[in-house]
Amino acid sequence: MQPIADRNFDALVTPTKLHRSLYTDPTLFELEMQRIWGQAWIFIGHESQVPEPGDYFTTHINHNEPVVLIRDKNQAVHVLHNRCGHKGAKVVENRSGRARGALRCAYHGWTYRFDGSLQKVPNEKGYEGTGFDATDPCYSMQPVARVDSYRGFVFASLSHTAPDLIEWMGGARACFDNLCDRSPEGEVEVAGGVLRYEHACNWKFILENLNDTMHPMVVHESIVKAAEAYIATLPPEAAEQRKEAEIIPPFGASYEKFEDSGITGFAYGHHYDGGKTSIHSAYSVDPDYHEAMLAAYGEQRTQDILGFNTHNVLFYPSLTIKCAVQNIRVIRPISVDRFIVESWSFRLKGTPESMLQRTLLYSRLINSSMGMVGPDDLEVYRRAQTGLASSASDWVEFHRQYGKDQVLADRVVGGGTSDLDMRTQYRAWKAYMEGSMQGLPDHG
Amino acid sequence: MADLASIERFLYREADLLDRPDLDSWLALYTEDAWYWIPAQEDQPDALNHVSHVYDDRVMMEIRRRNFVHPRASSKDWSVRCSHIIGNVRLAESEPGEVIRVRSNQHVVVHYREEQKLYAFTATHELIPTGDSYLIRSKRVDLINPEAPQTSLVIYL
Repeated sequence: MQPIADRNFDALVTPTKLHRSLYTDPTLFELEMQRIWGQAWIFIGHESQVPEPGDYFTTHINHNEPVVLIRDKNQAVHVLHNRCGHKGAKVVENRSGRARGALRCAYHGWTYRFDGSLQKVPNEKGYEGTGFDATDPCYSMQPVARVDSYRGFVFASLSHTAPDLIEWMGGARACFDNLCDRSPEGEVEVAGGVLRYEHACNWKFILENLNDTMHPMVVHESIVKAAEAYIATLPPEAAEQRKEAEIIPPFGASYEKFEDSGITGFAYGHHYDGGKTSIHSAYSVDPDYHEAMLAAYGEQRTQDILGFNTHNVLFYPSLTIKCAVQNIRVIRPISVDRFIVESWSFRLKGTPESMLQRTLLYSRLINSSMGMVGPDDLEVYRRAQTGLASSASDWVEFHRQYGKDQVLADRVVGGGTSDLDMRTQYRAWKAYMEGSMQGLPDHG
Repeated sequence: MADLASIERFLYREADLLDRPDLDSWLALYTEDAWYWIPAQEDQPDALNHVSHVYDDRVMMEIRRRNFVHPRASSKDWSVRCSHIIGNVRLAESEPGEVIRVRSNQHVVVHYREEQKLYAFTATHELIPTGDSYLIRSKRVDLINPEAPQTSLVIYL
């Protein structure tokens, strides 16, 4: 492979081609962690994961920096660097839980308030006259540079110069509204646990796959055919009751159907497919749920909410949400050829249990490492990871419908089977890597 | 009183079919109203209000079995072989009636994608006596690490 100059990203990303080193070069991965994951707003967690003061949830903001999401005694939610101000030990070790009184480092017993400020250093008199100042914030558990939330979804950025979260989300923000507005109370909460799925390949493969609508009918043909064939043998009344019959077959939808669903791209790499229609739009609506929605919103607004059907929405680079299914997947990179996907489910507040149960059914059928869809997706990512070691070519291509994207004021729209999603995310990739972040479309 | 030796023989037979794997014969060991469950949480109380790695009723088991041998299922291009070791077989408390609840500790080495992975779990079977053998009414697989990141698994444990 030819060596690539550090800042020559034009040589790696063209409007229709990507250099294979994006998936295989460990030094490029380290640069991505600094420049993309170190600048973008990264999804940390949802406020409902920490309902009471002292409740915490630990994760990583990039491949190696530990952070903790925690609620303080005044109900404010913080994202702190999970590091003791003394010798640097990770303070909160468990994945989630409720701290009593204060956070306490396991090494020398330094304690911190839930907002991260240093509360007490044992045997303090040894510091007298040494110049040590316990009130200096550098000895606290420090907040991540920027922290903000939108409708309960907490993001953080390691960059002090990141744009405001609202600006960064752009028009894709409507998808958070749609997810939350699907609750008659306008609120969602994390429910039903998490699935963690280890992917032995580069983290970008899953982002590229979300709105790659040319793959489902190929990669998922087997499970669609197996499900359709078997469900067809059931008595009609039994077949009708199978929610799987709504969830699995749409993965085999035709090229025409996917083309109609369209793809919409935004600044900073965000995009979604669907809108008016998606593979989720033919789901049956629970009558009790529908009634609760009508009571809360009235006929027209209910129709508008339930009629906005996106499939996968990507908030580049760490979060993808399915509004119509009420679940999200969170990307946690580890190395150039390894990452974890977390699948979280949400309860729409004020809705029947059957709604959450469908969300959880979806997650175990589709997102589980032992599911019907996830392992076939991962299989093709891994084949790409392996194949890109070949010296036959340095390039992967994404020409589909190039030059046909329609540039509007705040977004780009195009055909559902186009590579608009690739163009959107790699414009942002290049912009982040060059230091400018935004990645707005610059051509018609 | 259930005969522990005959139950053990039955569990070995089930494991043998999974080891090959021969899912057609394996599924014949299950009742029509059977379910198979791998929870995603320690002591998970229920399969509907919390996510699971797998929670299949007979219909989903039939679909999964067909997918497993489908020529276009690329994750199944790789051969899968397993080796079950079953120990600590003990009868569990059960409701009065026909069903026998039995627990066992199982270590399964799964060979897939040229890698070997070790799964360790407590299996809970509900068995229904059928003359000289049993049928499986349900099987619950409680992994020792249900909340850890998992890699693709394309076979029942």
